Amino acid sequence: MLALQYVRSVPAYAFVKATGGRADVATSELSMLHLGDVEEPELPGRAWVRVRPNLSGICGSDTSAITGHASLYLDPLTSYPFVPGHEVVGELEDGTRVVVEPALGCHVRGVEPECPRCAEGRPGLCENVTEGSIGVGLQTGYCASTGGGWGEVLVAHESQLHAVPAGLSDEAAVLVEPFACCIHAALRGAAGPDDVVVVLGAGTIGLLTVAAVRRFTPPKRLIAVAKHPAQREHARRLGADAVIGPDEVFQRIRFATQARRLDGPDRPLLLGGADMTFECTGTARGLNEAARFTRAGGRVVAVGMPGEEKVDWGPIWQRELTVMGAYAYGVEPGGRRTFDLALEAAPGLELERLTGPCFGLSEYRDAIAYALEAGRLSAVKVAFDLRDLRV
Amino acid sequence: MGRPGAVIEIDRNTPPVLFHYGEGVRLERLPLGSRVVYAPDPIEPVAHPERAIRRALAHPVEDDPLKALLRPDMRLTIAFDDLSLPLPPMAQPDVRQLVLEEVIEMAAEAGVEDVHLVAANSLHRRMTEDEIRHIVGDRIFSTFYPDHLYNHDAEDPEGNVLIGTTSRGEEVTLSKRAAESDLLVYVNLTFVPMDGGHKSLATGLGSYRSVRAHHTVDTLLHSRSYFHPPDSALHHSCIRQGQLIEDTVRCFHIETSVNNHSFPAIANFMQKRETDWTPADQAAFLAVKQLTDLAPADVKRAVFHSMRAPYGLTAVHAGQVDAVHDRILETVNRQMLVEVEGQTDIVTIGIPYLGPYNVNAIMNPVLVVCMGLGYLFNTYRGRPVVREGGVVILSHPCRNEFDSVQHPSYVDFYDEVLSDTLNPAEIETRYEKCFAEDPWYRQLYRRSHAYHGVHPFYAWYWAAHAMQHVGDVIVVGGERETVHHLGFKCATTLEDALEMAEQTVGRYPSVTHLRLPPLFVADVK
Amino acid sequence: MSLLRDVRAVRAGWRWGGVRPATWAAAAPGLPEPSTNLDWARQEPIRSLRWALQRGLAVPFARAVTGLHVEGADWLRDQERPVLLVSNHVSHADTVVLLAALPDRARERTVVGAAADYFYGRPWLGRVVSLWLNTFPFARHGGAQAVLHSSSQLLKSGWNLLIYPEGTRSLDGRMGEFLPGVGHLANETRSPVVPMHVRGTHRVMPKGRRFFMPAPVDVRIGRPLERRQGEGSRAFTRRVEDAVRDLGRGSDEPRVVGDWIERWRASAHPRRASAR
Repeated sequence: MLALQYVRSVPAYAFVKATGGRADVATSELSMLHLGDVEEPELPGRAWVRVRPNLSGICGSDTSAITGHASLYLDPLTSYPFVPGHEVVGELEDGTRVVVEPALGCHVRGVEPECPRCAEGRPGLCENVTEGSIGVGLQTGYCASTGGGWGEVLVAHESQLHAVPAGLSDEAAVLVEPFACCIHAALRGAAGPDDVVVVLGAGTIGLLTVAAVRRFTPPKRLIAVAKHPAQREHARRLGADAVIGPDEVFQRIRFATQARRLDGPDRPLLLGGADMTFECTGTARGLNEAARFTRAGGRVVAVGMPGEEKVDWGPIWQRELTVMGAYAYGVEPGGRRTFDLALEAAPGLELERLTGPCFGLSEYRDAIAYALEAGRLSAVKVAFDLRDLRV
Repeated sequence: MGRPGAVIEIDRNTPPVLFHYGEGVRLERLPLGSRVVYAPDPIEPVAHPERAIRRALAHPVEDDPLKALLRPDMRLTIAFDDLSLPLPPMAQPDVRQLVLEEVIEMAAEAGVEDVHLVAANSLHRRMTEDEIRHIVGDRIFSTFYPDHLYNHDAEDPEGNVLIGTTSRGEEVTLSKRAAESDLLVYVNLTFVPMDGGHKSLATGLGSYRSVRAHHTVDTLLHSRSYFHPPDSALHHSCIRQGQLIEDTVRCFHIETSVNNHSFPAIANFMQKRETDWTPADQAAFLAVKQLTDLAPADVKRAVFHSMRAPYGLTAVHAGQVDAVHDRILETVNRQMLVEVEGQTDIVTIGIPYLGPYNVNAIMNPVLVVCMGLGYLFNTYRGRPVVREGGVVILSHPCRNEFDSVQHPSYVDFYDEVLSDTLNPAEIETRYEKCFAEDPWYRQLYRRSHAYHGVHPFYAWYWAAHAMQHVGDVIVVGGERETVHHLGFKCATTLEDALEMAEQTVGRYPSVTHLRLPPLFVADVK
Repeated sequence: MSLLRDVRAVRAGWRWGGVRPATWAAAAPGLPEPSTNLDWARQEPIRSLRWALQRGLAVPFARAVTGLHVEGADWLRDQERPVLLVSNHVSHADTVVLLAALPDRARERTVVGAAADYFYGRPWLGRVVSLWLNTFPFARHGGAQAVLHSSSQLLKSGWNLLIYPEGTRSLDGRMGEFLPGVGHLANETRSPVVPMHVRGTHRVMPKGRRFFMPAPVDVRIGRPLERRQGEGSRAFTRRVEDAVRDLGRGSDEPRVVGDWIERWRASAHPRRASAR
């Protein structure tokens, strides 16, 4: 089958990293990513089925891996070579449209008894990711045995499949996985109705976090920080009360919370500030600023995937901030699965407006380059369209 | 010498007209048949200012001579106007310095020990040491600063007392020091007919509580105009407050007026009518135009804000507030009034680099609106120069730049309030309270040199009458995004602006250009 | 280019020739215009050129580089007679700084005494400083009679005269003894002597260096001094020297202790006070 494959090659990695992760180098012949004819994955067991992807999204974690910016922490949790792509809406052999929940936990792997994390309903944090009927991998799309969205066929356990309602188009459904991540983050943050919440970053994760917070934990005031004009429109539409630019964060948040502002030699800080911040850029700048404009005793939820970032822990310590990661999805408090919540909330949000443009697999070099500059190019989610491969 | 103000009609031989353009100048050709209104020439100043002051203090109007009021054991407080006037600032010695020195000399001779000098800056910013020194002079500064010479702090909970309520329910507060004084002397500079009289004490030493009684959208909408107090609801309210103050504290009011010689010799081309320009003036204009086109912003700002005006004292009176103020207004009106026949469809105004609220700072977009539609629009008596539904064309670069030290609340006003709504009444009900009570703005007003948190609101309300009266506002040469954010239209050249205006007022409109500064008041028949 | 466009607009806009109505009179100067028939540097068009150079370039530049802080400029307001300005001398930057500290009207009629051997030894340097700073040659050693004559002639013709009575720049920052010429000059011309003190220029242009660096500078101007009845030239010179030294210490009178009335009286301007 035709697929993009990510190979583990130390010299290629060094080369890509040395050039700073430029798109043209990171997708070239000398990189870790190759397009070619690849063996179809085998069904590891009876409860597994084949899925043919319709649309597969390009996620920030994928581009980080391709450009060598991902944290090396994730390397032992991956098996090579793998086909990337974990934001998948596809078809089963009988034509049913499904979205794939990528986490490969104990149940999917057929490991008995379940680890404590999977028992809690958090398969993304499974402690048995090295065991079971398939290779090492946190998710479909980082595992050599399962294939991934950027190929013609992948295999999935029946518990990973969620039926897509008829009214939800493929373009909207491809965003269900990231939306589930953001819903999980919003519920982990648990903002109250009197809170001032800031969502820092307005890429896919930032915008879907705005939507999730507005829908599930509506706060007193929701401020989105967006760099590009197209992102601002989306943020407003998805429920932000105010949209501000990254250079105005301290001034506008000071005003919204009537805090005091002190200007330091490197960065300002607020005495007072937002009650909760969702950090959706995954950059050092975002994390450092969030630590300074979130009020003492407040909460910073790291939603966007960070790499190895230089963060000043002084403010975090002095302000007694709670900094928590939010990763993946599973079963939320209340007993419902995150994906179910996402599928329920999706139709009202016109998510298809966030998807585009779509590229064929053979145009992967343009696709990755576009995805790396998405904000500036007025795009949010860039995806691969594999429907044309099936004729 | 000393021609009165004139309204000149433009014909083929008329030179182009000077338009101020913020920190810059432009020459524009107005259409044939347009009128240009010029200020009267500066009146001859008094020959010996110190003698005139001494005479006024010895022979006050409807009051005892100042000498007779001073006793050694009394508590004397002397208040004086801050640097929001005159504009541009006066070349040293400032008129207030001359008056203050006479008063202090009398106080020294009488042996008064307890003397405080207070700058009556109300909700304006605190003045820096150099600015105070500029107004009071070296001698007074070195004798009294800092314990006995200071800025009024309107937000000091201990330093302001409620002295009563007027018959219309307006609360009146006063600086505690002033309220408890045996004699309160006010040294006033009445630059335009809006200043002076009861307004000085009522606002100058008041606080938010007393100022908000008349700085409301409703009152300002009924002030037609600020430059003609009999028709101004704002002044009526201030008079009521001032009368209450007069009943509470023994006041002695000293008012001075100056002529309108607003520009130093080097910038004579700004002072003179274009028809009077000599080759030297033309060369000076070209030099300044090149400087403002090419120089970086800070250089321009430094050059413009260092200009000092050679004003001359034209009258000084002392005594009871109303009596003094009436006499001074006669002189001020003699200097300022220009007769204008009838209204016009389009009025054009070049906005200068300096307004009352941006001395030594950049004029931010909110202040551009305050200056253009608040002050300069209202320089009339009788009826506005532009007819109802007409168009006002302003000339200013209108850049989205704010002085972070002097105008922190202006930044938030522009970003937060104006993005939501532009309507003054709505702004008043929804946002004014939160800005007025914000602890950060309060801290900056009291400790730094920032205007009070509520000040940008007043700047916006100042333009409420114009916004209601006028059909359209077009800014020539402004930054497009900023002008749209303010709710106005933007044009690149004056010709384009006039064409856009025709959409609102119809073809072949009448155009009048108000050639100010130097300032005048149009008496529209 | 926009300059051409502007020039064209100006030329086309005004018809040249024709009578222009007179405008109001500027405030009359208290002082008569100083004489121009002395030497080339005191004549037109050099005077106007110097006015433009000083006003437009030298003074703003000096103010910007030194963040000039001036105290006591009030003493030179409303001058009625030309005065003799004396100052301590620390660096070559002193003259520019002192001129920048003076009020405009005083500066326009101030001539500076510059060491003849140092500045006028080299012809081009003499011309440059004469043009920019309005200097005239002042012989430091010998020929005192001639120098006295030219100086007093300048004063009598209406020019303020700025001189450095120490005779040379200070090496260690301490003020040296004043040469007696000050007293003689004041005696002959009956001009008031205004003490001035400059501080900080040793960092702007240190002795021995040719470049300059930004550094803060303070200039203090003190109360004008007049020779008392029966006071000798030397005694007067010493009084002037003490006044300059006191300015340097931060007061032109010994510090007055007491209430504001006493401080006020102590700072009174003698001429204006006597006019009451």
